[in-house]
Amino acid sequence: MKPRTIAYYFRQAVISMGRNTGMSIAAALTVAIALFILGSFLLLVTNANFIAGVLESNVEIAAYLDVDMPRKDAEQMAQQVAAMDLVADVRLVPKEEGLNQLRKQFGDRHDLLSALGGVNPLPDYLKIKVTEPEGVRAVAEAVAGLEGVEKVNYGELVVYRLFSVIYWVRWLGLGSMILLSLSAVFLVAITVRLTVFARRREINIMKYVGATDWFIRWPFFLEGMFLGLTGALVAVASLYGTYQFLVSNIGPALPFVPLVTDSLTVMRHLAWLLLAGTAVGALGSAISVHRFLKV
Amino acid sequence: MIQFINVSKVYPNGNKALADVSFQVDKGEFVFLVGPSGAGKSTVIRMMFREELPTRGQIMIGGKSILRLRRSEIPILRRNMGVVFQDYRLLSDRTAYENIAFAMQVVEAAPWEIRERVPQVLEMVGLSHRADHYPHQLSGGEQQRVAIARAIVNNPRILVADEPTGNLDAETSWQIIHLLNEINKRGTTIVVATHNREIVTTMRKRVLTLEGGALVRDVERGTVRREA
Repeated sequence: MKPRTIAYYFRQAVISMGRNTGMSIAAALTVAIALFILGSFLLLVTNANFIAGVLESNVEIAAYLDVDMPRKDAEQMAQQVAAMDLVADVRLVPKEEGLNQLRKQFGDRHDLLSALGGVNPLPDYLKIKVTEPEGVRAVAEAVAGLEGVEKVNYGELVVYRLFSVIYWVRWLGLGSMILLSLSAVFLVAITVRLTVFARRREINIMKYVGATDWFIRWPFFLEGMFLGLTGALVAVASLYGTYQFLVSNIGPALPFVPLVTDSLTVMRHLAWLLLAGTAVGALGSAISVHRFLKV
Repeated sequence: MIQFINVSKVYPNGNKALADVSFQVDKGEFVFLVGPSGAGKSTVIRMMFREELPTRGQIMIGGKSILRLRRSEIPILRRNMGVVFQDYRLLSDRTAYENIAFAMQVVEAAPWEIRERVPQVLEMVGLSHRADHYPHQLSGGEQQRVAIARAIVNNPRILVADEPTGNLDAETSWQIIHLLNEINKRGTTIVVATHNREIVTTMRKRVLTLEGGALVRDVERGTVRREA
């Protein structure tokens, strides 16, 4: 392919978009809307995964021991748990420390604790860290089975709920993505078909004088790809803006929710949308051009 | 140069356009294809540049069968063949010059070649002064001359014309035929399908006569019979 031929393709693509301005804008906007929604889901899933990861790595197991267990037995128990598979670290938190923590949490109102009359009602407990998040449940169950362990606590509910949310968001995202992509492909196809139709005489003549199929196709492909890319750029720009706005305005209000704020990571995800938009455009024009070349 | 061997064509709607047609056109010949409407002239022309495929039989162009060409080989066949139609088929949004240059762009000719060659063919068809006119500013005869210029700009070995004078008055028709004859003298093989009895009779070229899809006469220096 010679450079001047490529220049010719681009010129033709631009000319035909100029001829169907309204339709071209409509097609680009459809692509933009589809990709905006797709991108929203992408960011949502990315963040949900990020949050789940942060929470998982923070999940600790608290195994509360019998209140009246002697300290010596408790220490032995700690060693026993430390020897278990998947356990990274065990720390025995004595009841005195537990009470101190409680006092701190009460803050100004720590005088409430004086109502206890100097008796510490708290049990000793073991703070267990696991080597990998998937091991939380297994370790928790094993520890709960030990004699002298009163109760085991871990963030199981939070983690499992989050996972089921991510699961549904993913499927919902996939479903709407497919539907919207189809409509985008369809609209690009209609737009390019208008162009092809308007230029069928020209295409006909091109064939008589010996133009190759690809020579005829390229301008239409470029047109479709350009429409898709334009739509994708609009989608990426508005998504990026919206996301940054949300992160900087809502992020501070929800300090306990970790969000992906690294703009490089966000951009890397959004870059996929540009590719998707171009692909959608190319597919749309391929559908339209295909039928007109059979002479 | 062009060989039809026992060519038959039945259209999908059952219309039998050609029945067992065989002929050969040699390099440098000028051949008229005549016959009443529906005799199969256009089908023969369209088969030459492979817009139609025969139902049976063989077609050779330049010694090579064109029936089993791959899609990618069809453009190569057509680059060696100029085509002229009754309705000119010019692009209305381009000038005479641009219409001719278009045929060269399509085959990826260099800009300097286009700048050199297009004025040459414009002069050859006598339209140098009309280069910047759009088709609607040109008469029918002028438009057909632009179409002929476009057909020969890439130096094809064969020029086929389907009723090139069909929409033109007698005097203009003669100009077109003389132009085709001129091109033929430069070595291009020419096949012209026509209704124009006067032209065929006067020109005394080889005449192939089709009737009802069959080749009924093949005469050197021929005429058209009155009853045809």
